[in-house]
Amino acid sequence: MKKISLSLLMTALMLVTSVVFAAAQAPLTVDIYGPGQKLVNMTILPPRTLRTGRAIPVTAAEFDKVVRNDLSYIPFLKDVPMSQLLGGDPSKGVKGSDINFKPLQLAKVDLVMTTGWNGSNLEVRVYETFSGRMVVGKAYGQVEGKLVTRVADRFCSVLLEELSGKKGFFDSPIAFVKQLGKTKEIYTVLPQGRELTRITKLGGFNLSPTWSPDGSRVAFTHIGAKKHTLGVWDSKTGKITLRNNTLGQLVVSPEFLDNERIAVTLNKTGHSDIYLLNKEYKPVRTIVKSSYIDVSPSFDRTGTLMAFTSGRAGNPHVYTLNLKTGALKRVTITGKYNTHPCLSPDGRYIAYTHQTANGHRIFLHDLKTGREKQLTFGPGSDEYPAFGPDGYFVAFASNRSGEYKMYLTTRHGDTPKKLNTGNGSAFAPAWDTSLQR
Amino acid sequence: MKFRFSFALIALLSLVLLVGAGCAKKSTSSMPPGATKVKVEDKSDYSEDTVGEESQVDESTLAAEARKEAQARAVEEMQFRIHFAFDSYELNDEARMVLGRKAELMKEFPELTMVIEGHCDERGTEEYNLALGERRARAAFEHLVILGIEPERMSVVSFGEERPLDSGHNETAWAQNRRDEFKISY
Repeated sequence: MKKISLSLLMTALMLVTSVVFAAAQAPLTVDIYGPGQKLVNMTILPPRTLRTGRAIPVTAAEFDKVVRNDLSYIPFLKDVPMSQLLGGDPSKGVKGSDINFKPLQLAKVDLVMTTGWNGSNLEVRVYETFSGRMVVGKAYGQVEGKLVTRVADRFCSVLLEELSGKKGFFDSPIAFVKQLGKTKEIYTVLPQGRELTRITKLGGFNLSPTWSPDGSRVAFTHIGAKKHTLGVWDSKTGKITLRNNTLGQLVVSPEFLDNERIAVTLNKTGHSDIYLLNKEYKPVRTIVKSSYIDVSPSFDRTGTLMAFTSGRAGNPHVYTLNLKTGALKRVTITGKYNTHPCLSPDGRYIAYTHQTANGHRIFLHDLKTGREKQLTFGPGSDEYPAFGPDGYFVAFASNRSGEYKMYLTTRHGDTPKKLNTGNGSAFAPAWDTSLQR
Repeated sequence: MKFRFSFALIALLSLVLLVGAGCAKKSTSSMPPGATKVKVEDKSDYSEDTVGEESQVDESTLAAEARKEAQARAVEEMQFRIHFAFDSYELNDEARMVLGRKAELMKEFPELTMVIEGHCDERGTEEYNLALGERRARAAFEHLVILGIEPERMSVVSFGEERPLDSGHNETAWAQNRRDEFKISY
């Protein structure tokens, strides 16, 4: 009897220890999408040479600068300078075995990045300091000239994908409207502030840019002296076509339903309704109509759910329409002015502008739970929310600095980061989400 | 009697001779050397009829000028703006009065055409404001059609919040900016 109980105890003990060991070996994962989202501290160690006696190339400093700038746009990543570590540089080389993780753990650093150079060949690694696990390890050749920024962007995309499970942030351009004197033209820029490109030179007002799901075209409203026109820019040829053969005087808030068809607000019967245009940009039918204003359609990735603004309840409010079942639902209940909805690509969240006594603020509505959350807090007016390709980042425009500029936050309402768009006011961001399809 | 007739004939002939000699003398002396002779003729015919006709032309130019002036005044008056409440495209009494006067003038000057521009204040959001501006322009358009103006003579366009009249950020500026503008051409 005693023997049996002893052996039972032994087995139980062994089981417990093996579980403890298993727990210790499981890699640390950062759930940035969870409600209890935490800040991830990261230290970037100075670049090293991979071949003794060979100098570190000058491009190393540039690479370092681009990576730091890119990662500064990730709200949950905090850059911890090496000066905060006890004993200075904790590494002797670029590999995990060359790094002393103890001072990093002591400084509460979660991730550490090393770069090693051999001429123009580059090796970049990111380790978790708690387990010593390598999160990302990449090698790049011919990292010179213009390729330095591209490689840095690509590496940051890989790192972000590893941390958040989604890719494409640093490679997905944002189309937006820029004030040039008394006219407004459309530009594109990468979220990290590079490759600012002007795509229209039409004069008048060019507004409401929107990407086709495959990222090959941008549609927008062109307002001339006497009427509105639908403009479509082709990203491959750079050509712009202006269409208004059958659209009428009002062409507002175009949005691609799929790669061929556009939904847009027209007024053909005395009230502004949302129409569906075929690939020849001719109206085929109304998607929603009422005797009030229906405007600003926004679709999920599958094109089944549409969010839009409607004045049918007396004041503008946000509604959804299921295009398959025809079910219409009012989303916003409070306030008197809720407009410009943007549906997240997965169709779960709607970001919209809610007017307060102190200007507009961006709110987030969770369609699954019905919960609402205020994402931005001014001052001034925060408008034009636009989801990024992963449905995690939210770009918007705000005049908090006195002039309208674009900012980046997340669906958790992280501290907004200003996007670099050069001189002049910037409005109406629209994110190319093709890399997530 | 015969004598009398011949005497008269001689007298006439001598007179003709005298005049002819005198003229010849004058022509040789009055022209300076090297000068060219210019024929001066007056073919004017001051008959009663033509005088009457000319005064009529004068009156019609005056009338045309007066009409032109009246038209210029009308064009100016037709550009009077109408204003709206926040997030509204309803025509108030004042707006209806202003539009009534526009209709009268449009009927008086059938050569005039009109672009009605709808504008909003900066407080709304851009896309909704573009639709709202169009409703404001269309409200004026429809009212004028009811008052008997041919729809072909008018068109509407919305500028949303893009062209504020007053760039201020207060209620006075916003009230100024929520408007319809009327651009007249002829």
